[in-house]
Amino acid sequence: MAIIQAILDGLMIGGVYAVISIGLTLVFGVMGIVNFAQAEFLMLGMFVAYYAWAWLGLDPLLAAPLAFAVVFVLGALVHQVMIRRVLKAPAVAQIFLTVGLLIVLENAALLMFGSSFRSVSTPYQTSALQLGSLFISVPYLLAFLMSVASGAALWLFMRTSWFGRAMRATAQDPMAARLLGINADAMHRLAFALGVALTAFGGAVILPYLTVSPTVGGQFVVLMFTVVVLGGLGSVAGAVVGGLSVGVIQSLSALAFPIQLQNLVLFVVFIGVLALRPEGLLGGSR
Amino acid sequence: MILGMTSRKAVFVAVVLAIALVLPFTIDPRGYTIRILCLMLLFAAMGQAWNIVGGLANQMSLGHAAFFGIGAYTSTLLLIHFGISPWIGMIAAGIFGGVAAFVISLPTMRLRGHYFALATLAFGEVMRVIGNSWSSLTGGPVGVSVPFAKPSLAMFQFKDTLPYYFLMLAALIVVTIIFVAIQRSRIGYRLQAIKENVDAAEVIGVDTTRTKIFAAVVSGVLMGCLGTFYAQFQYFFDPDTVFGVASISVRVAMIAIVGGIGTAIGPILGAMFVIPMEELANQAFSAQAAGLAQLVFGALLIVVILVEPRGFVEFGRRMVRRFRKGASR
Amino acid sequence: MTEKKGGYQAGLTRRSAMMLAGAAGLSAPFVARSAFAQGGTVNVGVIMPLSGANAQFGVNSRNGVQLVADEINAAGGIKSLGGAKINLVIADSTSTPTTAASVAQRLVTQNDVVAILGAFASSLTIAISEVTERRGVPLLTMSFSDQITGRGFENIFQVVAKASVLGKAQFDGTVAIAAASGQKLERIAIMYEDTAYGTSQATGLREGAKAAGVQVVMDDAYPLGITDVTPLINKLRASGAQAVFPVSYLNDSLQIIRAMRQQRIDIPAIGGAAGYVIPDFEKGLGEYAEGVLSISPANYDLAPEYTERFRKRFGYFMVHEALEHAVCMDVLAQAIEVAKSTKPDALRKALHDTRFEGGWTKAMTGGAVKFDKTGLNTLSVPVMVQWRDKELATVWPDNVAKTKAIWKS
Repeated sequence: MAIIQAILDGLMIGGVYAVISIGLTLVFGVMGIVNFAQAEFLMLGMFVAYYAWAWLGLDPLLAAPLAFAVVFVLGALVHQVMIRRVLKAPAVAQIFLTVGLLIVLENAALLMFGSSFRSVSTPYQTSALQLGSLFISVPYLLAFLMSVASGAALWLFMRTSWFGRAMRATAQDPMAARLLGINADAMHRLAFALGVALTAFGGAVILPYLTVSPTVGGQFVVLMFTVVVLGGLGSVAGAVVGGLSVGVIQSLSALAFPIQLQNLVLFVVFIGVLALRPEGLLGGSR
Repeated sequence: MILGMTSRKAVFVAVVLAIALVLPFTIDPRGYTIRILCLMLLFAAMGQAWNIVGGLANQMSLGHAAFFGIGAYTSTLLLIHFGISPWIGMIAAGIFGGVAAFVISLPTMRLRGHYFALATLAFGEVMRVIGNSWSSLTGGPVGVSVPFAKPSLAMFQFKDTLPYYFLMLAALIVVTIIFVAIQRSRIGYRLQAIKENVDAAEVIGVDTTRTKIFAAVVSGVLMGCLGTFYAQFQYFFDPDTVFGVASISVRVAMIAIVGGIGTAIGPILGAMFVIPMEELANQAFSAQAAGLAQLVFGALLIVVILVEPRGFVEFGRRMVRRFRKGASR
Repeated sequence: MTEKKGGYQAGLTRRSAMMLAGAAGLSAPFVARSAFAQGGTVNVGVIMPLSGANAQFGVNSRNGVQLVADEINAAGGIKSLGGAKINLVIADSTSTPTTAASVAQRLVTQNDVVAILGAFASSLTIAISEVTERRGVPLLTMSFSDQITGRGFENIFQVVAKASVLGKAQFDGTVAIAAASGQKLERIAIMYEDTAYGTSQATGLREGAKAAGVQVVMDDAYPLGITDVTPLINKLRASGAQAVFPVSYLNDSLQIIRAMRQQRIDIPAIGGAAGYVIPDFEKGLGEYAEGVLSISPANYDLAPEYTERFRKRFGYFMVHEALEHAVCMDVLAQAIEVAKSTKPDALRKALHDTRFEGGWTKAMTGGAVKFDKTGLNTLSVPVMVQWRDKELATVWPDNVAKTKAIWKS
C-alpha cells in the first residue's frame, strides 16, 4: 500500500517536474544551449502568479497562462539581447552567459520583490481526496492536471502548427530549414521564449503548495537537469518520461533510503544513465 | 628560448614575478588587501588546475569542487583525529583527489560537451550530499574547524596573512608549471588532438581514454592539495562551502573561461578580475540594497562574456590584431 | 625592424598596473583613517546575509540593529565617550563563508570597527569569528550552533542558548505543556532540515527524548530546499507519533503543516523556531497557523514596551533574530559605556565581566545578559511560543509565560 501511495505521489509530482523541464530540453533541442538560468524563470512565473493572486485575487492555476505570457515576452527579450550572441561561441561561453543571467535574475528579483518568502492561500491547499487508505493531495492533483493539459497543448503545437514544425525542422537540420525559408533566428527566439514560458507556467501551477522567494529556483536546478538528461536532451517526450521517472524514483527511494539521501539516489541514477545511455531514455536527436 | 618561452615573454614573466614578490611587503600583512590577494592566488591556482581538464582536454567539468572538498576534509580530519601535519595531510589530500578524479572519469569517459558538464555537476553534488549526511566522518552540515595551534610552518598556521600569500603564490607557480609542462609534452599533443577531433585522434592511435584520465587525475590531485590550502587559510568550512556548485565548481570554471580557457595566463587573469570585482561590488553596493552587489557582479559577467566569449586572452589578441592592422598602414 | 610596442604585452602590463593601483588604493584608507572615537563616531560592523536564501533573516536582523543604534544616537550617543555616535557599517556576508570572512577582514582593517554583529547563519558566523578572534575584535551574535562557543575563543559573545539546549527545551517544554493538559507523551517524531541549524537542534531533541525515556518513532533529516514533503508525511502517518517536532525554514514548514492537514494528521506540531516564528508563517497558513507551538530563543512579548517600537517602524512584529541582534547592539553600547573606551582589550573585559541590565536586555529571559568565559549568555533560556490570534504568545516556562498554552491532543 505504501508503495502504491508512493508511486501515485511520484507520478503527480513527476508531471509537474516534466512541465517545468520541457522548456529546458526544448531550448537545447533547437539551439544546442543548456540554459542554466532556466530555474530562474520558474521563480519569475511564480512571482507573476503570486502578484496576480495578491492584487487581482486570481487563483494561481488561473494565473498560470498569465505567467506564461509575461515570461514569454521576457524570454524573447533575453534571447534577443543575450542568447542570440553566443550561439556560435564555444559551449563554455554559452554556459557562463546563462550563469551570469541566473545571478542577474535572482538578484533583480531580490531587489524588486524583497527577500520575504511569499505564500498564497487557496481554498484547496489543505484538501486531499481519499480513496480507501490512499490520499491524493488536491493541489498536487490540480498541478498534475494543468501540467498534462499544457503538455498536450505543446505536443499539439509542435506536431500540427507551422511554427511547431518549423522549430523541429530547425532542430533537425538547420541548413535544410534555412533553405526552406525558415528564419533560424526567429525559430530560436520562439523556442527560447516558449521554453522559459513553459517553465514559468509550471511555477505558477506549483505555487499553491510551495512558497516563492528570489532563491526558490535553486531548489529545482538539479532536478530539472536530471529530468532532461534522463529523458534525453532535446526530446520533449523524453522530458515527460524523465519527469515522471524522477518523481517516482524520488518517491520510492524514500521508502528504502533515508529521505535526506533522496537526491543522492537521483544523482546516482543520473550518472548511471549518462554512463550507460548518454542519449537518455528517449533521446537521439542530438 | 628560456624555459620554453621567448625572451620577450620570459622578461615579462620575470617582471610580473618580481612585482608579485615585492608587493605584499608594501601593504598591511594582516589586512584586507592581502587577504583578497591570497584568495586571488588560490583561485587562480584552482582555475589553472581546472584548466588542465577544461582547457587542454576540452572537457568542461562543473564538479571540480568534489576534489577540492575531498582534499580539504582529508587533511583537516587527519589533523583533528591524528594530529598529522597539514603538509603530510596534503599529500593524502592529493591522493584522494586523484582517486576521486579517476573514479568519476570511468563513467564519463565517452561523454562530451554538455553531458560531461552535467555528469560532473552531479558528482560534485553527490559529494556534497555525502558530506552533509555522513556526519560521523565529516561532522555534517555544521562543518569542521581547524584546531587552533601555535603559528608555525610545520603546522601550516600563521598569525599574519603574509606567509599564506607566498605559499599561495608558490602553489600558483607550481600548478602553472605543471599546466605548461603538460601542454608542451606529448600528452599535451594528444590532448590537443582529442580536442580537435576525438574520432580522428582515435583513428591515428591516440589512447584517448588513458590520456583523458591522465589529465583528470592530475587535475584532481592538484585540486585536492589546494583544498588543504583553503582549509588552513580559512580555518573553517562546511560541505556547502567546499563542495559547493556555485562557490567552487562554477567559480573556478568561470575564472578560467573569463581569463582565457586553455591558456596558461587565462586563469590568472580571470582570478584577477573575478575575485576583486566581486569584493568591490560588495564593498560599493551591499549596504545600499539587498542583492545589488551580486546583481552588478552578474551583469558584469554577462558583459564580459558578450564582449569576448573566449575570455581576456582572446580579447587581448583581438586588440593586438586590430592594432597591427592599423599600424601596418 | 619595427619594435612590437603596445598591443598584447603592454596591454597586459597596463592591466596589471591597474590591478596594482587598485590594490594600493584599497589599502590606503587603513593608514589614513582616524583610530578610535574621540567624541566622534564609533564604527560598528554589521555583517548579515543580505542576498541569497537567508536574505529575509539578514534584513530582519539588520533592522533590529538599526533600530537600537538610532535610539542610542537619538538619546545622545555613548555618554562615556563624550556623546560619540554609533556608525553602523553594514555589509552583505552573501551566503558563502569565504566571502563573509573577507568582508569581516575588510570591516576590521578598512573601517576600524570596534566590534562586529552578525551573521545569523552559524556557518557564516563561525567563518567571521576565525577572523575576529585573530584580530581581537569582539563578535556578538545570535547564531546558536554549539560550535560557536565551544572553541575556547575569547572574542565571541552569543546572546542566546546553544542549539542543543534549544532542542532539549523544545522537547521538555512540550512535555510540560502536554502534561499540564493531562497527556503523557510516549511516542514522538522528529524531522529536520539537514543544515547546521536543523541538525544541531535535532540532536538536542533526541537527547531530551532519551533523558525522558520517550520513544522517537521517526527521526528523519531531509534536504534543504525539499520540493515534495509527501514521503515525510506518509512516514509520519505510519509512525504513530503523538507529536511531531519539525525543525524547518518557511518553505518546508508551510509544506509540512499543509500536508499534515491534507492527510488529516491532527497531532500537535511543535516547530523549531526559524520558519515557524515569522509573520509569513501565519500569512501562509491563515487559520491553520492558530495553535501551532514552537520553541524560540526569545520572544517579543517579553518586553513589549521595547519591541513594539520595531513594529511601529518596520510594520511587522519583532521577529526573534531582530530582537536578539537589537540586544547585541544594546549590550555592545553598554559595554563601551562601562569600559569608557573602544580599545579591544578594555571592551572584551567589559563584555566578559559586566552583567548587562536595563535597556533592551529586558527583552531577554532573565531580564539581563551575562556572558560566561566561553562567551555564552548563561541567563538566556529558550521559551515556547504559540500562535494565538496572529501573534506569538509566550507560553512556557511558567515564570515568563504570558498565557496558558492550548494543547490539542
